[in-house]
Amino acid sequence: MTSQTAALPPAVRVVLGLGVLVGFAALGEGLMRLLHWPLPGSVVGMVLLLLSLGLRVVRLHWIEPAADGLLGILGLLFVPATVGAIQFLGAGAEWGLWLLVMVAGLLLGAGVAGIVAGRLVRD
Amino acid sequence: MIWFALTLLAFALGVVLQLRLQSRPLLRTLLNPTLLATVLVGILLLLTRTPYDTYTRATEFISAFLAPAVVALAVPLHRLRGLLARQWRALLLGGAAGTLAGVAVDTLLPRALGLSPDAQRALTTAPATSPVALQLADITGATPALAATLAVLSGLLGALILPAFLTRLGVRHPLARGIALGAVAHGIGTARAREEGELTGAASSIGMGLAALVVTLVVALRG
Repeated sequence: MTSQTAALPPAVRVVLGLGVLVGFAALGEGLMRLLHWPLPGSVVGMVLLLLSLGLRVVRLHWIEPAADGLLGILGLLFVPATVGAIQFLGAGAEWGLWLLVMVAGLLLGAGVAGIVAGRLVRD
Repeated sequence: MIWFALTLLAFALGVVLQLRLQSRPLLRTLLNPTLLATVLVGILLLLTRTPYDTYTRATEFISAFLAPAVVALAVPLHRLRGLLARQWRALLLGGAAGTLAGVAVDTLLPRALGLSPDAQRALTTAPATSPVALQLADITGATPALAATLAVLSGLLGALILPAFLTRLGVRHPLARGIALGAVAHGIGTARAREEGELTGAASSIGMGLAALVVTLVVALRG
């Protein structure tokens, strides 16, 4: 099977991987709709893919080129969304408070994670 | 069509500039390609008085790749399963505790400060990677643009302030530093963690994936 996907033209390997990734997003979406659970389909799809890779239902080399490509430009994919921040320029001074909240969350969160993990690390 | 092109070019420009700044760590972190593209495109939209709706429709093609990209986060987690199996106690418990603490502050502090309901909803998901924060906006009722932007800014702030803060706290083990960065500062924090070393970067990747799950569960349980 490895040799078969390796023989595919690179663009087709990306298309194959993309098909699998979109398929898992759709699967997660459909499952959540069926169960009426309020979870984003893509996050559920990520868990399902992780399980499928572990059980070797899906092989890493099927999706590797597409996954690495997408994660390499992850920062581009939400630019259309972040540009929407121009609608919030009117919030003015409240931005200062938003940043303050985030700094507090970052310090406490990272502090807790760092200290807990530091105690539990096995050498 | 032109806005689609401008978005791609602005992001590419950001990556090129970032690569040129290899020797200037602070500037390199600040000059994040997402941030640069957001600011450049935002300024152009304001100058040309183009409505955001027009822009969203022109760039739908880019946004269509968000869902498969979130699914693709499973790939680094799968690759790092060996590390996760050896150090699951430190990584899972440390990461989950850190993300939960971050979400708690980002949820409760805005309430205490009496921030607008929209800001309260958008801040809750700041410890999750932007694409996940964006997908969660449907559930929290936050404005997607605000949730995504605050998540990006949170990652950026984290990458800037956390390494020195962790050193001051005495957190020195690469795994502990990595999981701490990933747990609250997701993608941009992970890029920063990779600069400290491979192990720190790997732990941060795990922290980022785990944070996506933890924040999703918190939002779902509250809903």
